[in-house]
Amino acid sequence: MTPVTPDLARYHRQMLLPGFGEAGQLKLLGSSVFVVGCGALGTVIANTLARAGVGQLIIVDRDFIEITNLQRQILFDEKDVADAIPKAEAAKRKINAINSQVEVIAVVDDVNHANVEKLIALGRGGKVDLIIDGVDNFETRYLVNDAAVKLGIPYVYGGAVGTVGASYAILPHTPKADSAWEKTGYATPCLRCIFEQAPPPGLNPTCDTAGVIGPGVSIIANYQANEALKILTGNYDRVARTMLNIDLWENTVRQFKVAKAYDVGECECCKKRNFEFLDGKFGSSTTTLCGRNAVQLSLKQQAGKMDFDEIAARLRPHGAVSVNKFMLRADIKDNGEPYELTLFTDGRAIVKGTKEPNTARGIYAKYVGA
Amino acid sequence: MADTITVRIPTALRPQVENQESIAIAGASVKQVLGVLTTRYPELGKRLYKKENELNRFINVYINDEDIRFLENLETPVKGGDELSIVPAIAGG
Repeated sequence: MTPVTPDLARYHRQMLLPGFGEAGQLKLLGSSVFVVGCGALGTVIANTLARAGVGQLIIVDRDFIEITNLQRQILFDEKDVADAIPKAEAAKRKINAINSQVEVIAVVDDVNHANVEKLIALGRGGKVDLIIDGVDNFETRYLVNDAAVKLGIPYVYGGAVGTVGASYAILPHTPKADSAWEKTGYATPCLRCIFEQAPPPGLNPTCDTAGVIGPGVSIIANYQANEALKILTGNYDRVARTMLNIDLWENTVRQFKVAKAYDVGECECCKKRNFEFLDGKFGSSTTTLCGRNAVQLSLKQQAGKMDFDEIAARLRPHGAVSVNKFMLRADIKDNGEPYELTLFTDGRAIVKGTKEPNTARGIYAKYVGA
Repeated sequence: MADTITVRIPTALRPQVENQESIAIAGASVKQVLGVLTTRYPELGKRLYKKENELNRFINVYINDEDIRFLENLETPVKGGDELSIVPAIAGG
């Protein structure tokens, strides 16, 4: 739905671009985009798309802002850290100030196989027009890729760590081949066509071990946003049919040719339409978090809301505890090792101080209860 | 070095090759080039190969930006001056 009397003056400079114009701008204002994750990539993406006038942004992130995020996560500031604001909520506040024509739905949650389709359905008209990736792990990317292919929604992948980054836009194949991009011959292979399997934990460096350079994530995120703007304005012919790889320390920019992957390959996802991540066959209930010495636990069944006051009372003998309406945070010493335990109202927990899922499960079981 | 292939090593795998960014190797096919490379650096071979003659599926190999899976896979012929890129999935964000 476009606004009744949209104020287009602020978009004048981009409406001058070829293939854009007022018609393109009205398409953007009528579009819904799902921003999956609001960290380094996600903040840059959300900022660019909001300024460009994408009408609705659904921003989902499970995390809170830390001081080490500010080096690259451009929508956040020191006050957000001090106030312990969730990332999605802080992003919404900043975007509201940047462009009041954009509706932001902020969701503080993990994206998993049980909720991803519901989050997609928050889009205007019951479905978002595009999914864009600000995720920090491959499991969630395959999940989102499954959902995008199943529902026929374009999905723009991006990833960055150290001084390297990659991006690639997926215009998915659909069962009837009747999408706007397929009719014009511009469908592209999906993420699993290109990378058939996720790298095992420990193979790749994380933001912990390799660090991450701010401009790297900004370049990748804005490249993703650029592909998104082409797709949302219907400029499918301009979408790159290659996977971008950059290394800012080596000054290399590569465009790998991936277009044949669908025709030649036997992709489980987009060719066989077997959505293993979306069906919950793959994927775990613990996630080691990139850039943090931390593990997230997702509890599949949550009977009711946790009583933070009661848990806080139990934990105070073990160390400092703070509670607000979003979370409980406790410093715990276990076997002489310090851990920081954060509980969220939806039943998730983040155990900081370990990368081992079992250690994290143990801490949770000991201090919160299984 | 006109008849050597330049192999580009991704950041993730550089610890296995004495931190070199690229390595020049002679060979007539992808298999030969990777064979020489992984004989010289066996730890790299453990990361690249699932089993003999089968690369791990989370790593792609490109010859001059073309995926070898859509050429002749490990049998893809190479010539001097070609560039072989080993590209793992990039997960951070």
